[in-house]
Amino acid sequence: MTLEAIDVHHGYGTETVFEGVSLSVSPGEVVAIIGPSGVGKSTLLRLLALFDAPNRGSIEYENQAVWDVSEQRRLEYRRRIGMVFQEASLFDASVRRNAEYGLRVRRSWTDRLRHELSSLVGKTNGTGDAIDALETVGLREQADQDASSLSGGEAQRVAFARALAYEPDILLLDEPTSDLDPRNTAVIEDAILEARRRGIGVVIATHDMHQAERIADRVAVLLGNDIIEVGNTETVFENPTDERTRKFIEGELIY
Amino acid sequence: MPLEPDTLTPLLIDFPFEWNYIRSIIYVSLYVSLTAVVLSTLFSLPVALLVGFKDFRGKTLLTSIINTGMGFPSVVVGLVVLFAVSNQGPLGSFDLVFTTEAMIMSQFILAAPVITGVSLAAVSSVEQNVRDAAYAMGGTKTDVALVTIKEARYGIATAVLAGFGRAISEVGSVLIVGGNIASSDGTSVTRTITTAIQLEARQGRFETAMILGAILVVLVLIVNAIVVRLGNGGGGGRYE
Ligand SMILES: Nc1ncnc2c1ncn2[C@@H]1O[C@H](COP(=O)(O)OP(=O)(O)OP(=O)(O)O)[C@@H](O)[C@H]1O
Ligand SMILES: [Mg+2]
Repeated sequence: MTLEAIDVHHGYGTETVFEGVSLSVSPGEVVAIIGPSGVGKSTLLRLLALFDAPNRGSIEYENQAVWDVSEQRRLEYRRRIGMVFQEASLFDASVRRNAEYGLRVRRSWTDRLRHELSSLVGKTNGTGDAIDALETVGLREQADQDASSLSGGEAQRVAFARALAYEPDILLLDEPTSDLDPRNTAVIEDAILEARRRGIGVVIATHDMHQAERIADRVAVLLGNDIIEVGNTETVFENPTDERTRKFIEGELIY
Repeated sequence: MPLEPDTLTPLLIDFPFEWNYIRSIIYVSLYVSLTAVVLSTLFSLPVALLVGFKDFRGKTLLTSIINTGMGFPSVVVGLVVLFAVSNQGPLGSFDLVFTTEAMIMSQFILAAPVITGVSLAAVSSVEQNVRDAAYAMGGTKTDVALVTIKEARYGIATAVLAGFGRAISEVGSVLIVGGNIASSDGTSVTRTITTAIQLEARQGRFETAMILGAILVVLVLIVNAIVVRLGNGGGGGRYE
């Protein structure tokens, strides 16, 4: 269940973002991607989420190059990956419907129609997994609220629950806590560690060096067009092999 | 059908017009306009999604056609449709001159650009983040389109009502392609509220014309009231 980027070259138009980036994530580990703004952390996560094909190199899931298979097969791979963005981007619906979305799109069209109809006549007893996921982020009680009535922190917690609800193998997090206060950040970090405990492989892009230290098993340092260093968290922070890593981390820790 | 105005209007002033006549006109109007709007919506939504989110050749041309179409003169549309269904036209063999089908065609052409244009604005305002979230959770392209429609639902409803408003209140095209025909038993065949008003007024039957005018105004006011309410974000109604 390993997801891998192998020797990826990518860019937008004439602008080069990556020249030979490789990174893997395995079940039950948390990998943090750190690097300055604009270096391509979001781009790498989108490639790992199979949004776009890399210009060169490959993305592999269980050693299968995902862009060599049919779109239908790729959809199956995509459905084993969850992603949370910096902004919650919730649907204009109830918290419950947001949390159930991933499960809903996995049903057949007839099943979906049946569920919609029974929810119209009031039988909205939600899917257990979605409610469990809301429980993980402490928002079970809010299930029937409008998503638009939530605070920013609560909304982000729902966004996390929504990606957890369909039990992905891999969870990709793009600065999920950068807009949050310490309390909501703690809830999300606990949920990340809970996901790891359940065997989910997590990749998190973050600006927060302390966060990387708190939750990551491994750290990848993205600088220039490359990952210049990847290793276990303690080593990268205490004894980086690359001088640029030390400078970057020291610079970031000043703030 | 025999007319019994006295039993139908016992409480009101004894209007000198025939209820069956009025009713059949309203029926034809609503039938033509609603059918045209339903068909326009089915056509316009996919087009709006396509123009909003896909890049293709001729997109700017299509967009300007939509914008021009929103204000296109209805008599010209009527003229073109009448020609199309006439003996010399490409659809001549279907025998559609002065039929409700021809009227539906011309109102479709009038309503579709309005519905497409307003829907396009609505779906374009759905944030890419939200669409990405649907895709990231395992949604297909169809799922992302459905999410977009759901997020833009108030704007799309506004678009549909605006299309209906244009269709129900226009007179030019239905007059030309429908011919404003009533049958010998005094009920409407292709006569709509607007064309009937035009005829009744010209023949000096102002009461009938006024009643029809009032009905049309009420219909349009109701539609506008709903549009305004939707413009306020769905009137606070909870979505589920
Ligand atoms: N859709 C796009 N079209 C063109 N250029 C893009 C696009 N997305 C990103 N870029 C460019 O690619 C580079 C990497 O962007 P990316 O968003 O991946 O960086 P990031 O590391 O996530 O930055 P931040 O920390 O600010 O979120 C930037 O130079 C950016 O301008
Ligand atoms: Mg980013």
